[in-house]
Amino acid sequence: MATYVLRRTLQAIPILFGVAIISFAIVQLAPGSPIDRFRNPNVRPEVLQNLIRLYGLDQPWWDQLIKWLSTFPQVWREDAWGHSLFFYRPVRDIILERIPATLLLGGTALLVTIVVAIPIGILAAVKQYSIADKIITTFATIGYAIPSFLLGIYLLVLGAGILGIFPSFGMRTGGAGGGDPLDVAWHMVLPVSSLAIQQIAGWSRYVRAKMLEVLQQDYVRTARAKGLASNRVTYKHALRNALIPVITLFGLTLPGLLSGAVITETIFSWPGLGQLGVQAVETRDYPLVLAFVMVGAFGVVVGNLLADVLYGLADPRIKY
Amino acid sequence: MADRIDALEIDDIARQRREEADSLAEDVDRTPVRTYWQLVRRRFRQHRMAVIALFVLAILASYAILVPLITGDAYADPDIFKPDAPPEIFNEEGEFTFAILGYNEIGINLFARLAKAIQTSLTIALAAVVIILTIGILVGSIAGYFGGWIDNLLMRLVDIMLSMPALFIILMLVSFFGGGSMGIVIFAIAFTGWTTAARLVRAEFLSLREVDYVQAARALGAGPQRIILRHMLPPAMAPVVVAATLGIADSVIVEAALSFLGFGLPRSDASLGTMLNVAREFFFTDPTKVVYPGVMLMLIVLAASFLGDGLRDALDPRQRVEAK
Repeated sequence: MATYVLRRTLQAIPILFGVAIISFAIVQLAPGSPIDRFRNPNVRPEVLQNLIRLYGLDQPWWDQLIKWLSTFPQVWREDAWGHSLFFYRPVRDIILERIPATLLLGGTALLVTIVVAIPIGILAAVKQYSIADKIITTFATIGYAIPSFLLGIYLLVLGAGILGIFPSFGMRTGGAGGGDPLDVAWHMVLPVSSLAIQQIAGWSRYVRAKMLEVLQQDYVRTARAKGLASNRVTYKHALRNALIPVITLFGLTLPGLLSGAVITETIFSWPGLGQLGVQAVETRDYPLVLAFVMVGAFGVVVGNLLADVLYGLADPRIKY
Repeated sequence: MADRIDALEIDDIARQRREEADSLAEDVDRTPVRTYWQLVRRRFRQHRMAVIALFVLAILASYAILVPLITGDAYADPDIFKPDAPPEIFNEEGEFTFAILGYNEIGINLFARLAKAIQTSLTIALAAVVIILTIGILVGSIAGYFGGWIDNLLMRLVDIMLSMPALFIILMLVSFFGGGSMGIVIFAIAFTGWTTAARLVRAEFLSLREVDYVQAARALGAGPQRIILRHMLPPAMAPVVVAATLGIADSVIVEAALSFLGFGLPRSDASLGTMLNVAREFFFTDPTKVVYPGVMLMLIVLAASFLGDGLRDALDPRQRVEAK
């Protein structure tokens, strides 16, 4: 197991390296320069020259690339990820302070997904072709097809606009009483639902399919044949095997948590990583953009690794 | 005497046999011989939702093509006297106006603008999917056919692409290189989207490579180009067609999301995304503005995903459907 984790970690390095090269190339090839923002008749050319030297833009691109690649992994240093061209602060700190909000939103959405999707998926499978199954399957098909950002728009217009019950933006109310857990929870209702509904749809379809698959297997029939209680067979023998593949889904959902739901966070002005990323692209804050891509890629790599390791732990048939 | 009876009997038997054979032949004629495509059509028709979806998409497509053709530049022609005016089927002169859905906030005929918006969104999606298929099939077939280090190299590239936050990379490309042109939106969607098609084609090729008829073609001296194009690509196309259908849905969503955030097309261009972007200003004052582009987007995405499901079942030659 340890050697497997080590091998996978080593395999991740060239992938992250590749991501770094491609995103660096995009930024390098982009027309214009980050200092264009400062160009105006009031700024003397010497100041611009100083800025170019300060940001290292006078260096050839390979020197910039090597410098970036060599300092980026040194996360313990404050300036490892460079300085934001917009916030005038170390990129590392800006990203770190946004992570809690993103994790809160994504984590809650994931929790809601697990709590809702697994029971309704099981219900649909156990009572196949019943009315409950048809309702769940129809919901899942439609919910899976609606783009989550459109769902976000609908929820915003309905919950905050027409009904006027929920707050339309941010994470806490300004002023007195703002920011206590209940207030934050109130702000989370709409963004969490817009993230969770699509995931619930996808997960419940998957759980239903896996459960149906397992219920048809020989060992389940044997258990029933030897006279075990039907519920015991379903919820003890079948369920455990049906839930193992769900771990894969967990690993696929995880990276979305870290890089943030870019659009959902923007629609609801949620102060997380995703919203920061959009802002960084808008302001052409290259160091921040690059760091955001790397954090996102890191999330994918870790998510995949975690899913495979958990799968191995849960399923004794898998040997590394 | 005995000989005569024998001859008569033989005649009789011969006639019987002939009749039997004739009726058998008739039976054989009546049993239809179905080609692959007839079976595909039969299986597809049994998928009710997919048939409805195809119908819906056909209606949307003809709406998006015909209405802009007939109404000309009505989709970009504001009338300062008609902001948010209600539907008006006939104007003062009694002519048909096509303003079935009324006018938008600057007095543009909404029915015409919606048609143009669907046209733009579908054009972007189709163009992106064509590029995705071209790159995906090329990379996938090279990796799957040659295997070895070429396969390894290309698949690591796919791994790298899949590790990047796709939507964010699209945002970067469109924002840094864009200037709001349709071309860069198409390019950005294709840049991040080709990996699925490549993986599918590669997987099919890896299994097809070992199949007897491909081995036979190789033994007969066919070159890689002929084997790939004639023998391996056609049977590998089924999952690719399904992925392309779903890819259209994804591309429409991405374009809408981009333009909604203000990164894709400029607001003066009509697309489902830009219409949503305009509606964003009226979320709390006039929420009805979300309805038309939102519903159209949902219809396209739902229809494309049902169509994809139907095609998946219909194109799979391993599926057997009893004749009805």
